[in-house]
Amino acid sequence: MSEKKTMSRRNFLGIAWGGSIALVFGQAAVALLKFIEPVSAGGFGGSIYAGKVEEFAINSINRILAGRFFISRTEDGIIAMWQKCTHLGCAVPWVEEEGQFHCPCHGSLYNEVGEVTGGPAPRPLDTFPVTIKSGEVWVDTSQPTERSGFDPSQLTDA
Amino acid sequence: MSKLIDFVTNSRVWRSFFRHGWPDNPLDRSLVMTSNIFLHLHSVKTSRKSLKWSYSMGLGIISAIVFGILTITGLMLMFYYAPTVERAYGYIITLQTLVPFGQLMRNMHRWGAHLMVLVVVLHMARVFYTGAYKPPREFNWVVGVVLLLLTLGASFTGYLLPWDQLAYWAITVGTSVAAYEPMMGSTIKGLMLGGPEVGQEALTRFYALHVMLIPMGIALLTSLHIWRVRKDGGLAANAVEDGGSDE
Amino acid sequence: MSNAEKPQSFSKEKSATKTYSLVELVKAPTTMADKGPDDSIFSFPTVALLELLLTLGVIAFLVLFSLGVDAPLEEIANPNTTTDPAKAPWYLMGLQEMLEHGHPTLMAVGMPTLMVLFVMSIPYIDNVRKGSGVWFTSKKGKKVTRNTAIYTAVVMPAYIFLDSTFPLREILRGQLPDFILQAVFPAILMGAIVLLPVIVVWRTKPTPRELMLTLFTVLFVGAIVFTLAGFLFRGPGFELYWPWDMPGDYRPWHNL
Repeated sequence: MSEKKTMSRRNFLGIAWGGSIALVFGQAAVALLKFIEPVSAGGFGGSIYAGKVEEFAINSINRILAGRFFISRTEDGIIAMWQKCTHLGCAVPWVEEEGQFHCPCHGSLYNEVGEVTGGPAPRPLDTFPVTIKSGEVWVDTSQPTERSGFDPSQLTDA
Repeated sequence: MSKLIDFVTNSRVWRSFFRHGWPDNPLDRSLVMTSNIFLHLHSVKTSRKSLKWSYSMGLGIISAIVFGILTITGLMLMFYYAPTVERAYGYIITLQTLVPFGQLMRNMHRWGAHLMVLVVVLHMARVFYTGAYKPPREFNWVVGVVLLLLTLGASFTGYLLPWDQLAYWAITVGTSVAAYEPMMGSTIKGLMLGGPEVGQEALTRFYALHVMLIPMGIALLTSLHIWRVRKDGGLAANAVEDGGSDE
Repeated sequence: MSNAEKPQSFSKEKSATKTYSLVELVKAPTTMADKGPDDSIFSFPTVALLELLLTLGVIAFLVLFSLGVDAPLEEIANPNTTTDPAKAPWYLMGLQEMLEHGHPTLMAVGMPTLMVLFVMSIPYIDNVRKGSGVWFTSKKGKKVTRNTAIYTAVVMPAYIFLDSTFPLREILRGQLPDFILQAVFPAILMGAIVLLPVIVVWRTKPTPRELMLTLFTVLFVGAIVFTLAGFLFRGPGFELYWPWDMPGDYRPWHNL
């Protein structure tokens, strides 16, 4: 007498149906999530022409309004930084008299390469990849890069 | 005259509407409650204790009333609005300057939204301090907390729609807070805004959430909420005397 | 079919499909037996009329208020210029104020999530049926609530003021790791402020209800204090000012 644990036909069908329905709905949920994921469009979020290299003087900060970023040029190269404060997303202006970025919302301070020098900001200003093609500076605003500190490798030679 | 009234109230049409006589006797006063979909939110009889103003202050009912006002004024506002970055602000200006009673309609919607948040919070405090969350009302308390969060969501999504400086930066700051949630934070923010910053996609999404998804959720959960109040024996004020006997 | 001619209540008509009906009201003991005298009234018309009155009252209040005060509208949104100060809607100002005092993940996400979870779990912690439907349940409950409310209304503003005047984050910047300054210190401080009254009440051998009253009151009054501080007392640069004494012509209530 082999008292094997067998599953009744009814139970098996029940589990099979239940599992299939759960799978269908799971699939739909994943599809829905994919559906509402952001898609990037043109304008801000694409590649933006900032200007000719010689338009950016060494040790100066220039704001490109259309791309929502700042171009900072040091002796070693160019860095493009998103104007969005890393604290709560306010637009940070460069304050020439103070020689630093000063956020009006909660007083976060950043230096010319975006490092935090004061205030509640948790990390430096995010950067955008810069490419220089035949003397023209192009900035790809689709991929803001978060960083924990400044490093000369973030500069693009100009 | 009374003949005419008799004729109307005895006609087949009238009787197909109202399946009871004039509610001036116990039977018809019961039937008026049980046979009317809106009135049947209430039981046929109500305890005097739960009607005491000092007990509930009517806060739950007031929030439902304000939600009703917001639905109507919101629908009116939809006649003069389009959720596009180029036109939204212009529509608000048109509404305020050209449309008769437009400014009043917008004011009522705006102040009503603030009022609803306030009243719902006070309602929660009232329910807590009167101990009305106690069994068997645990689940309804949880539904209430979700309703509070939905109310905040409705108000927050509506805040962006005028597309002025106030709206833009409030939503920028508000959604940036969400991004600090570890792991899922930036995903949640992306799903809310539909892009890296507050823009057209965010406006479209907030509009859809504000006029459809969240109000539907509130309506659905409010039905559940009120139904549970009835099932659990009305307001907790009724439970004072029988509370101990169940132990 | 001949029923229609007779002036007789429609409900008494027998239906072929409806198998139940309210047949009669009897004056007799019901399920309410042993539950004291029946102190109830017919919902119609009293309750229905009360609700109608309440509706009219709310509508009248809103219309009158809306006639007197216009909803704010600033200039069109400009992603390149931030308003100063930039504030979230008033009911989120508690969160934004919290952000001033510690790491965002702790202050704006961790604590609020804990708070919501706690609030949702209240009825499962205090699952005693007794004491429902009475304000503060007992004399002791009332006392506990009052004392906790006073304590919170004093300590929380003091914390906000001291932490803004002598911000540890700026004083010790660079001397201690950011994590300790922004997350560990504020968490310990906040935890201590919230739990102190709970510990005090705990020593009086409280019922679960009294414990809940204490904890909820700390959090509720704390939330009110933080919301008011953020909404009314923060001016340009998110600095603390008296609401009526803001620099420039910024007035918090203009931005509702």
